[in-house]
Parts: sequence; C-alpha cells; structure tokens
Amino acid sequence: MDKLAYFDSSHDFPEEIAMAAGFTPYKILGDVKTPNDPADQYLQNFICPAARSFMTDALAHSGEWAGIVLAHGCDTTHRFYDIWKLHVKTPFLHFLNVPMNYERKSAAKFFKTEMKLLITRLEAKFGVKITDAKLKDAIKTSNEIKGKLQKLAAMRGEKDITNREYLELCVKSVQLPKADLLALLDKKLKEWAARPAFPDGKKKILLTGSDVTYPEWMDTLEEANLRVVRDDLSIGERCFATLIPDKADPLDAIIEYKAAMPRPATKNPPDPRLDFLLKELKDSDITTVVSQNLKFCEPYAFDSVYTMKALKAKGYKAIHLEREFSPTIDRQAVNRLEAFMEIGEKA
Amino acid sequence: MSEATQDTKKLLRVERLPAINSQLGKIIKNYLMKSKFMSSLPWKKTAWVTAGFPVELCYLFDIFPMHPENAACVAGTAKVSLKLIEYAESLGFSRDLCSYFKTNIGAVGKKVGIAQGAIGKPKFLASTNTICDTHVKWFQTQAREFKVPYFCFDIPVAVAGTDDARMEEYIDYVVDQFNEFIEFAGKITGKKFDENKFNTILQKSAKLSDLWQEIYEYRKLLPTPVSFQDTMAAIFPLVILPGLDIGISFYEALLKDIKERVAKNTGSLTKEQEKYRVLFEGIPMWYKIKFFHELANYGAIITYEPYTFSFGPKKKIGLPIDKQLRELARLIIDTPYNYAVEKRIKYFEKVIDDYKLDGIILHSNLSCRPSCTGMVDLKNAIQKDKGIPVWLMDCDMDDPRAYADEPMKNRMESFIELMASNKK
Repeated sequence: MDKLAYFDSSHDFPEEIAMAAGFTPYKILGDVKTPNDPADQYLQNFICPAARSFMTDALAHSGEWAGIVLAHGCDTTHRFYDIWKLHVKTPFLHFLNVPMNYERKSAAKFFKTEMKLLITRLEAKFGVKITDAKLKDAIKTSNEIKGKLQKLAAMRGEKDITNREYLELCVKSVQLPKADLLALLDKKLKEWAARPAFPDGKKKILLTGSDVTYPEWMDTLEEANLRVVRDDLSIGERCFATLIPDKADPLDAIIEYKAAMPRPATKNPPDPRLDFLLKELKDSDITTVVSQNLKFCEPYAFDSVYTMKALKAKGYKAIHLEREFSPTIDRQAVNRLEAFMEIGEKA
Repeated sequence: MSEATQDTKKLLRVERLPAINSQLGKIIKNYLMKSKFMSSLPWKKTAWVTAGFPVELCYLFDIFPMHPENAACVAGTAKVSLKLIEYAESLGFSRDLCSYFKTNIGAVGKKVGIAQGAIGKPKFLASTNTICDTHVKWFQTQAREFKVPYFCFDIPVAVAGTDDARMEEYIDYVVDQFNEFIEFAGKITGKKFDENKFNTILQKSAKLSDLWQEIYEYRKLLPTPVSFQDTMAAIFPLVILPGLDIGISFYEALLKDIKERVAKNTGSLTKEQEKYRVLFEGIPMWYKIKFFHELANYGAIITYEPYTFSFGPKKKIGLPIDKQLRELARLIIDTPYNYAVEKRIKYFEKVIDDYKLDGIILHSNLSCRPSCTGMVDLKNAIQKDKGIPVWLMDCDMDDPRAYADEPMKNRMESFIELMASNKK
C-alpha cells in the first residue's frame, strides 16, 4: 500500500510531506455515480453531499490505503474526522489543523508545529525518516508538476480542450503516483499542442466557487457551449497557479506557498480570493464568470453575493448557480446558462 | 387512546421564575436601548461579537459589545424573522444558509426596530470560529458591507483523541492571537492592556458562571425548579454581560426564587405534573417557543440544555496573567458545543444520569450543520447505552418554514409514547 489518502476541502494538505515519507498522496474525491447510502447511515442528508461521497469512498476503500489524513478546511473536515474515527477502518488516521488567517505571524508558527507533528507521527508509524532533503526533493517534483500543469491549463484558451479533459487531468494530478503523472503530463503537453484551435461557437469563461470533483458537471458547461479557460478551483488552478518558493527550511517554503496560493472561501480575510479572480480576468480576454456552489457548501454560498456584485461592478458578465451532486448533465442549469449568454450577447 | 394523547387535554402551565419576569425584561431592554445609543455616538467604540468570543476582552477595552445572534433571537420570538430571511434570500443568499445570518442581513437591510432584531452598525467586528465557520463568513460579509475591520480568532479544533501535549500547542496559538487582538484593540481604542482591570472583569465573569452552575445544580432535583423556558432567556447576561455586576445580581435573584420553590417542594411543573425529564440539544426554535409548552402539556419538561450550559463554564481565576490567558484559551477551545462525538457521548451520558433524564431531543438544525454532524452516532450510542428514547428532530432555529405543526405534533406524541412505555 503506497497511497496516503487525504480528505481536504480545499488545497490545505501539504502533499510534499506524504511524498517525502515515500507515499503517493491520494486525494479522496468520492464517486458521484455511487449512492451515498453507506455514509448516510451516520449523516443527515443536509450535510455536504461531496463529503458524504468521500466517506462512502473511505468506507469502501480505506483498506487499500496506508492511512488517512484529514486537513482542516471547512467545518465538515473536523466533524467528519470524529465520525471517520468511529467507522472507517485504517491503521493511521491523523487530523492536521490548518490556519485560517495565513497573514498572521501566529498562523505560520502554528502551521509549522502542526506539520512537524504530522511528520513525527508518520515517522513513528511507518518507520521512515522525513528529512529536509527529502522534503526539498518533493517540493522540486511538485513544482515540476505545477509548471507543466500551468502550461497545459494555458492551452485551454488557445486549443480545443474540453472541460472534461481538463478536470480529469486535474483529478489525476492529485491521485496518480507523481512519476506516472509527470509522464502523463508530458504526453498531454504534446497531444494538446497538436489540437485544433479554440473552436468557434464556444464561449470562454472563468469558473469559480465550490470545488468540482466530477466531470459530469463540466459536461453541463460544455452543453451550454461554455469553455472553462481560467478557474480558481482546488481541482484546478489553486493547486498550480503558484510555485513553492525556494527556502532554507522546506516547511517555511510550504507555509509561504499556502499563504500565496489562490484563496479558497474557507480562509480569512476573503478579499484575496476576489483579488485573484479580478487579476485572472484582467490578464485574459475573458468577460464572463460562472460561479457555483455545491448544495450545502456554505463558504461559497456566503461569498457568492458579494463576489457577483463586485464582478458585475467591474463590467464582467457573471452568474451564480447552485448545483446538486449528480452524475447527470443538469439540463436546467444548461438552460439558465444558455439564456444568460443570449441575454448578455443581446445587451 | 394512548396515555400520551390523553394528556394533551390538560393545559399545564410552566411557571417561569419570578425574577425572569420582573428583572430580565428590563435588563434586556436597557441593554438594547444602550446599544442603539452607543452605536449612534461617533466616538464610542462598539463591536459585533458572536457566541464563542470572549466578551470580557471588549469590556477590558471599554468597547460596547453587540450581539447579532441575540438580535436574531429577538426577531424570532417577535415572529418577524421570516420576512427578514426572505429579504436576505432576495439578495441572493441561499435558502441553505444560517437563518440567524439571514435574519441579521434582513434586519440591517430593512432597518427594523430593536424589538424586531435591529442592531447598530459597529466600529469593528470580532469572532472566533470555534462554534462554526458561519460566524466567520457572516462577519466577513457584514464587515465588507459596513467597510469596518474584522478580527477573526482562529481556534484550533480538538478532534477526538487530542492529547494534552497537542492541547497545549493549541493553547499557545490562541494565546498568541490574544496578543494580536490586544494590539488590534489597542490601535482602535488607544488603550493599553490593563492587567488589574482584566482580573476584575474575569472575577465577575467567573462569579456569573459559578451562579449559573449553581442554578444548574438545582435542576437535578425532582421536580426541576428551572425549565428551558427560564434558561433560554436567562442566559442573556452570560452571552453579553459577563464581567459586569448586573448579571450577578439577577442570577442571585433567580437563585432566591429557586430556593423558595425548592422549599415549597414544587418546580416549574408540580411534582405530580412532571412526568418526563428531557434534554434538549441545540438552539430552540425562537419563533415557536410554544413547542416547549406543548411538550409540558404531556408532562415533559426540559431540564438540561448543553446550549445554555455551554455559556457558563467553571472558570479558574486568580492565576498569573500568562496562565490566566491560557485558561481562557482552553475554555474557548474546549466547549460542549464543539465536543468531538466521542466526548459528546460521554458528556451526554453523564448528564442523563446526573439529571435523571427520560428522553433526549436532538435538534437537527438546518441552520447549524456543524452541531448536527455526529448526531446520528450520538443518538445510537445513547439509545444503546442508556436505553432511553432519542428524537432526532429536523427543524430550524429562526426559519419558521422548517416547522409544520401537525407533523411536529405527531412526532412529539410518538416521542412521549416511547418515554411512557420506557418508564413502565
């Protein structure tokens, strides 16, 4: 078993620690096509459906993983830890507290202590030594992956690359062994470079909001002739928009990286999230934003009103949708998106 | 016809403690008037705070604290929360978001009066995330609206199995943030940390908590001299006035009333009327306080609420300042409202024994997902270990659309029948 699985409501888990311990970090993403009945033995149906799917996944597959780390993001992460501790069988279960306010001095100190504790526990459990040199190697590999993903993501605006293809690649980037991933990314770089130009009839958009963990929702956007060419999602640009800096202490480098990456709605203050979106839009030729939140995903539902207002005030076309956790194309969403685009074009 | 149904014909009256009626209304009214006045003074420093925030820090810096959650309760009991919630939804806020938050958005947007949940614009906002992320998202939203600063305490989560060493590490982090808050508040108010003043405030706050604990001790008696109808209102001083004298004198008056009841061998219901002693977990449905009177009509009285108990933990005082701050940090991290499931089960099972409970109502509150996550395990464990009925009750604290009279009545009858059958 070489996978160290993690449940992360954003991009809070430092994959490099798992890599330095000799594991493949494996992000638990559930399966939208599998009913949540196993998890629903323990949870009400108004709790985040994606998180319930992650639990269903863990109940079925934890035996294939060396252990599981839950990283603190939204409330669901820590509440689920307690439930997983009771019901998910695993030889190693760890909760990593992650700070909410990266700007504060206290946060960096705290996060470093938490990462050191994770390292100590991994070393004790698996008899490995996680040295600075191994962490630096892992950071180097992560940066190599990020660099390639940046190039691939940039092709979305130039070439004919479907929303599904992009998301499926991003999913692989948080689940595959890193050597296999690097080989795949090289292959995709060649393959995507040879693709036809960005198709006529498709509209370029920026996608923001809750993390999209399954390709069917990306198909919904495709059906509405919308192509995601920029985003700030955790299964997306949040993971690779910035590189991990080179610092003497690799944990300091990870802290600086986490503070600088595109901000999820689970952190404070919220303004850097909007600032990143506005910068993405300014740096590109995109004029349309699709924002969405998964049903019961509160952080993004809270932010949506202000975000929409701010984007519209800057002259961008923006729409916010709430989506179900469903493996089928959402026809109502397609209709709304088509109408939104038609109205925008007429205006 | 079952015993439970027969009892509905009797209209039992839950007697509130006299001091609630004679004193609390005035305390709340004076506070709300003062709140309105303070927020109108340009030079007066005011702050919005939430449950889980150490209000004592406000009094230390002469900051007047205002509590939007409390204002949302006011709107709920005044039965105006729905129109405020609908206003918030008309702005784009999801039906699934916290009804307190939406009530507050509506109260600010529609400029209602203080008796309908109004609350003045603050000079800044401050909260922790110890109870929920909602506090953070709510205050981020309103800080943006008001264009004022927001200070967010990031409280680490003590998940199941957190050991002492890790808890100390968490306390270090919170104490570091106290120092950051002291710097933040100092800049806003121009005042410095005054250790003597802080100790005096903490002494009064601890006294208030001690009195609350004493009140809770009396709730162990049969019949209970204190019901939820008392505590849901009487927590007000613990929420917003810890560190001041007014709450202390009010709680002393409550205790005097309680002792008189006990001396007469009666309670909120009489000894004959009190048939079922029930724990209610979560925030009540403020728009439907009648629910608890309907329960009482079956002889069921709420004798313990983790929600109200949480506001008055035992506080150690008289410690050197560094240790005192650590103690305060510990209390914020380790509150019954955010206990991990395993600890929550142990806590509930002890309360069941101590308070001689016959049943549990877990409010599966659509507005409070964090507190609801784990309730299924809690329910199963209590039923297995203690053999008493547990009602997992789907509803909402401030949004009356979640409450339907007849289905609720049916479930209530079933719950009462289960308790009745269990007692045979």
